[in-house]
Amino acid sequence: MIQVQNLSKSFQAIKAVDDISFTIKKGEIFGLLGPNGAGKSTTLNMMSAILKSDEGTIQMDGNTIKGHSKECKHLIGVVPQEISLYEDLSAYKNLLFWGNLYGIPSKELKDRIHTTLELIGLLDRKNDLIKTYSGGMKRRINIAAALLHQPKVLFMDEPTVGIDPQSRNHIFEVIETLNKQGMTIVYTTHYMEEVERLCDRIAIIDSGKIIAQGTQAQLKELVPTKESIQFEFSFLSESNVNQLRERLPYIMTQNKSKLIVQSTVKELSKIITVCNELQLNIKDIQLNKVNLEAIFLSLTGKQLRD
Amino acid sequence: MIFTILKKDLRLYFSDKKGILVTFLLPIIMITLFAFAFGGVAKKKSAPKPLGVLVVDKDTTVTSQELIAKLNSLPTIRLIPSEEENALNLVRKGENVAALIIENGFSEAIKIEADLPVELKYDAARDLQMRIVHTLLKEGFKYHLGKGDAISEVKLKTTSLIKESFTKAHPGLVQAVGGTAIMMLLFSIAAIGGGLLDEKEAGTLKRLLIAPVKPLDILLAKMGTAMIVSILQLTVMFIFAWVAFGLPIFMDISSLIILILCISFAVSSFGVFLVSTVKTRQQLQGMSTIIIILMSAIGGSMIPISMMPAFMQDIAIISVNYWGIEGFFDIFWRQLPMIDILPKMGILLAIGIGMTLVSTVLFKKNIIEIA
Repeated sequence: MIQVQNLSKSFQAIKAVDDISFTIKKGEIFGLLGPNGAGKSTTLNMMSAILKSDEGTIQMDGNTIKGHSKECKHLIGVVPQEISLYEDLSAYKNLLFWGNLYGIPSKELKDRIHTTLELIGLLDRKNDLIKTYSGGMKRRINIAAALLHQPKVLFMDEPTVGIDPQSRNHIFEVIETLNKQGMTIVYTTHYMEEVERLCDRIAIIDSGKIIAQGTQAQLKELVPTKESIQFEFSFLSESNVNQLRERLPYIMTQNKSKLIVQSTVKELSKIITVCNELQLNIKDIQLNKVNLEAIFLSLTGKQLRD
Repeated sequence: MIFTILKKDLRLYFSDKKGILVTFLLPIIMITLFAFAFGGVAKKKSAPKPLGVLVVDKDTTVTSQELIAKLNSLPTIRLIPSEEENALNLVRKGENVAALIIENGFSEAIKIEADLPVELKYDAARDLQMRIVHTLLKEGFKYHLGKGDAISEVKLKTTSLIKESFTKAHPGLVQAVGGTAIMMLLFSIAAIGGGLLDEKEAGTLKRLLIAPVKPLDILLAKMGTAMIVSILQLTVMFIFAWVAFGLPIFMDISSLIILILCISFAVSSFGVFLVSTVKTRQQLQGMSTIIIILMSAIGGSMIPISMMPAFMQDIAIISVNYWGIEGFFDIFWRQLPMIDILPKMGILLAIGIGMTLVSTVLFKKNIIEIA
């Protein structure tokens, strides 16, 4: 459905997207996972044909975006990170306006607004001004505005930022429904739980580069052990970590006073002994199954929410 | 505690460069402008540009020619020879402040010390300039005709070419309504243009760009909104002036409608131009305040153009206010036919087209690329 090849974009001296390539299959939910500033939104802006790339190509349903931006814009729906709605208009009038921009015939547009409002569960509030909505409700209308022209692909840029768990769940259900109806979805987030719940395939992006991509199972294969132990110390210097690395044969990732060791619970006592010998004061220990957070940590040495 | 809060407030205040400009630079510019207009500052610095007075010599004698040459040596007046019909026409159109008509028998009247057959026909809309011209010419006549002490008074007949009537507005009213209407319009339009920046900050501009909409369509739609509001605002203001002060708006309604359309187009394009040069609402507020007040002061919205020194009158032509106000004078005071007002309307349209073209380029650079 979508092919991104060797895409790059710089803003003056900053390379926001650095030679990334990936393919998105028809009907899948593809996640772009990375911390804030990783290059997710810049990638999505280029895929939405509102930002020109410096290098590389994007193909959508057989068409290259460059030179076919109008056709591509009809294929895609974009849910921007910001609540891009007119606060002083009702939900219905907002949707009517956004739908009109795509040239949908009046009667058909009204039917589509009705169906979409039903899908997102806000039909009964359609005449209320957006400014009277809660954050979660605004997010849902933000999604609805991207669906009216019935796009084949939906780009969602961190669509759950700053909302309550109930609204988040509602949005997940909407996404799953749309996907079941055959819509391809590209989902960017820095919440690994969201990607784990929704996405068929994931590209992990950091500092403008894709550092890993595949299904969740494939990504988990990148980490040798299936468990990790997180230690929190009162103080942990880089030399402490080097000393630990000399004495323990595991992959270790430091984040301030935290240390994640890719190891199993069986090795716990051995690690604690070494820490005691090095006079490191352990404050807390957590045992985790390997998840995307751990994969990101092991690949970048950073936490997703850094 | 008070000192800590005060220190923080001052630090924040002085970190806002636009705020500093409005606080310090704008008053300095305004003081300078008003000082030139009212304080005679320009005269100290350099000789003022002489006032152009047309002269029609019907006497065509050596005496009349010599007098014209001598009067021309006055630094503040420049006598321009002209045919009577042309001279009166130019004064009626507001091109020149007055025409000095030297009638037949002028040299004869000097010889017999009779009343001089001279007349100064003037544009009453330029009252202040006219008073200067009148005084200077009277003094010049007395001095050059050698009647300094002999005759205490040289009678220089004055006639306004455009008379006030029930169907004609007082020039002061035209100045007040026209000048204020355009200045206030500029403020309203800058605010409407600012809506584009609000859309950028709210993210709706990005969504518009994501939709199959051309960037130019967004700009033109915003300009169209500004233009409709401009037309409504000017219409309401002129209706108010008609009801409250009796401004005869139906005297030449077709010219008035076309002039309102031209002003609205020029002002709307100016609003869009302002918005296209900045990146944030704060920048717009600072910049629009400075530019609008400056343009209104130079263009005659605050002080009548005729009261300004010559060099300021020369630069007034860069402002929308100037052409708009002059257009209103042409309609309500000079009562010119539309054909004579068309050049001013054309200039307003040219300003509008020029600013729209520049805005298109700047809009792409400053607004879209960072939406």
